[in-house]
Amino acid sequence: MSKSFDAKEKTTIDRRNMLKALVGGCATASLTGCLVREQEPGAKGWVPQQYDAPSNWPPQVRGRVPIDPENPSIVRDDRKCVLCGQCIEVCKKIQTIYGSYALPVKDDFICIHCGQCTLWCPTGAIAEADDRTRVLQALKDPTKVVIVQTAPSTRVGLGEEFGMPAGSWVEGKQVAALRRLGFSRVFDTNFTADLTIMEEGSELIERLTGKSEAPLPQLTSCCPGWVKFVEYYYPEWMPNLSTAKSPQQMLGAVLKTYYAKKTGIDPRTIFSVSVMPCTAKKFESARPEFNAAGRYWKNDGLRDIDAVLTVRELALLMKEAGLDFASLPEESYDSLLGEGSGAALIFGSTGGVMEAAVRTAYHAVTGQKAPALAFDLAPVRGLSGVKEASLDVPGHGKVCVAVAHGLHNARTLLDRVKAGTARYDFIEVMSCPGGCIGGGGMPRSSVPPADDVRRSRIRSLQVKDAAGTLRESHENQEIKELYRSFLGRPLSHLSHELLHTDYVSRAKHLKVDPKALEEILAGQVTEASRP
Amino acid sequence: MNGSNAVLVDLTQCVGCGSCTVACKLWNGKPYDKGAPATGLHPVADHSNWTTLTQRKAEKDGAPAWRFVKAQCMHCEEPACVSSCMSKAMRKTEQGPVVYRPDLCAGCRYCMMACPFEVPKYEWGKVIPSVSKCQMCSTRLAHGRSPACTDACPTGALRFGRRQELLGIAHDKLKTGRYVNKVYGEREAGGTSWLYISDIPFGQLGFKANVTSESLPAIAEHYMRKTPALLLGGAALFMGLSKLIQRKKAVAAAEEGKREQ
Repeated sequence: MSKSFDAKEKTTIDRRNMLKALVGGCATASLTGCLVREQEPGAKGWVPQQYDAPSNWPPQVRGRVPIDPENPSIVRDDRKCVLCGQCIEVCKKIQTIYGSYALPVKDDFICIHCGQCTLWCPTGAIAEADDRTRVLQALKDPTKVVIVQTAPSTRVGLGEEFGMPAGSWVEGKQVAALRRLGFSRVFDTNFTADLTIMEEGSELIERLTGKSEAPLPQLTSCCPGWVKFVEYYYPEWMPNLSTAKSPQQMLGAVLKTYYAKKTGIDPRTIFSVSVMPCTAKKFESARPEFNAAGRYWKNDGLRDIDAVLTVRELALLMKEAGLDFASLPEESYDSLLGEGSGAALIFGSTGGVMEAAVRTAYHAVTGQKAPALAFDLAPVRGLSGVKEASLDVPGHGKVCVAVAHGLHNARTLLDRVKAGTARYDFIEVMSCPGGCIGGGGMPRSSVPPADDVRRSRIRSLQVKDAAGTLRESHENQEIKELYRSFLGRPLSHLSHELLHTDYVSRAKHLKVDPKALEEILAGQVTEASRP
Repeated sequence: MNGSNAVLVDLTQCVGCGSCTVACKLWNGKPYDKGAPATGLHPVADHSNWTTLTQRKAEKDGAPAWRFVKAQCMHCEEPACVSSCMSKAMRKTEQGPVVYRPDLCAGCRYCMMACPFEVPKYEWGKVIPSVSKCQMCSTRLAHGRSPACTDACPTGALRFGRRQELLGIAHDKLKTGRYVNKVYGEREAGGTSWLYISDIPFGQLGFKANVTSESLPAIAEHYMRKTPALLLGGAALFMGLSKLIQRKKAVAAAEEGKREQ
């Protein structure tokens, strides 16, 4: 009892007890939840009263397109998706894929891998499937000879990733950058674009002159998105597709056969990379039938193309390697598979394949140089959705051609031909608006893509074509050498083995919804079909 | 409860875009975990994936048929979790959602045991964890809006409305003959606020087939209501026995006393 009257002692004990009580009380309170402020279940975060929604709820929610987790071309990062519906916008209205098939779905995520959604996605949630790691691994592997090819459009796009204006011409710098990244040879897809013209042009002449039983109009086959589109929606048109492979696949095939033979490199050690403005090229390179070199060497494991990089991926590789783009010198392509004509260059733009084919086919039929018109084929240039032209070919007559870009336009054109209201001999289709220069693997210089960017890139290609001296595929000296020393002639047996392919109907994977498609084509659908 | 809100899921209309799972995370501020995807062939339903979308490679008429099955809390009409909760942390609101209140939760996890659909998940990684499950966007419903997932569905596979009306729509759709003749959720666990129709038998799509059609709380009540009687009866029985034994003992002691005398 006497202790409690000791004032000093009492204060000490009280302070300690108070602290104990405070700490203990707080701990008990927080454990039992007394300090947890009551929250409304569900939404968390500050709610702006005027929106009556949490701050991370987007103002417009429209959903998104389905993407197969195993899609070889495009991937989506859910963390970045804001459900804005831009992917639906482009996939449905411009490419007429989303919403064109009846529900329930069958056994496929219908996708032609064009990658336009990667350009329209405002947050970058949709992007190309990243193949940089595989390429870097190959570059580090001393047993591999890593060889790269660059598509026509890449040289008018790459600069944009480094702050240059749209359409800046960076061919030489791109070659220099690739060498500095460690690629042992830098080849030009323009070379095989010329080869494509030789094969596809010869095929067209055979069809026009009746030497071949294949039907007219002949359809171009260089765009893998378009090819898959035909396989899905127009399987009855597959015989019309040119059997010529795309330039990418042709280069892959001649690289591991002709080039390997000529230089004595073991084709098994070659790792073949392509830099493309395209995401569908990733899908194309993985098509099982594209192992022509494997069949040639009787080695099933040999793929014609081992990895595909988009222009954006190449830019990332360069940035990671710390390359100073501005100070890079201008270098030129390696020889044997490095020469390309102006005709090949304009492959990158809508109408370009047509113009290139006309120049060479005219020469092949008449033996004369095509008229000046064929070197500035205005009716198939420009960004109109469906373009047509006709040309008088002495010794044959009138040849009618048509060009479409964007698959909405392609459907319009094909349906016109189907209905018999138009007749053409040759039709060029590119899946992406503007052609490859507007491809899903090009820099996101404007989101969504804008026509002025597309025009700048096209102009850049056309200016270089006009300024060059080599403007016809059949005048390409390296192409002549390839035929002289290896292939023989266009459409030869070996050409067929290496440079031609066939197609597989994918119609069983979907059921087209004609009514929905009609609405999409009429442009009446503004909102997804909501209840 | 038939006037309450519900969602009708038409599995034939789903294209597998996963908008619903993203909308759920956006609205509820749930984090993403790469190891626990909300979509795909093997999604993980956990405390931050309140809804998942499973890709099912099924078959229909001998041909492959892919379907995408959205899963979330079924929001039972008479929820077992609510009846099992001792602290009223789980409640069925008048508007339909079964809502969880973390501030009331004692952490016993009886709800997890009680749920016939294995929906409530526990935040095992937290120091002071809560149970976690879909709230059917009760705050949105309170403001007259539909749940976030149904708002984001671009194909109309998710349809929000009054349960009674949706059941009518579902049965009208079944009459077309393109569906399996069953509305999943109409009777399951005594009826749920989420209803499903499908053209492929539900069992093939991973739905639980053996869920009782009786209300689970009703089953529990059937036994639990006998507790007072059992308790009182037992007490009476044992009191009687005790009295009997005591009396016997007293009698025996008295007789022993007599003999000794």
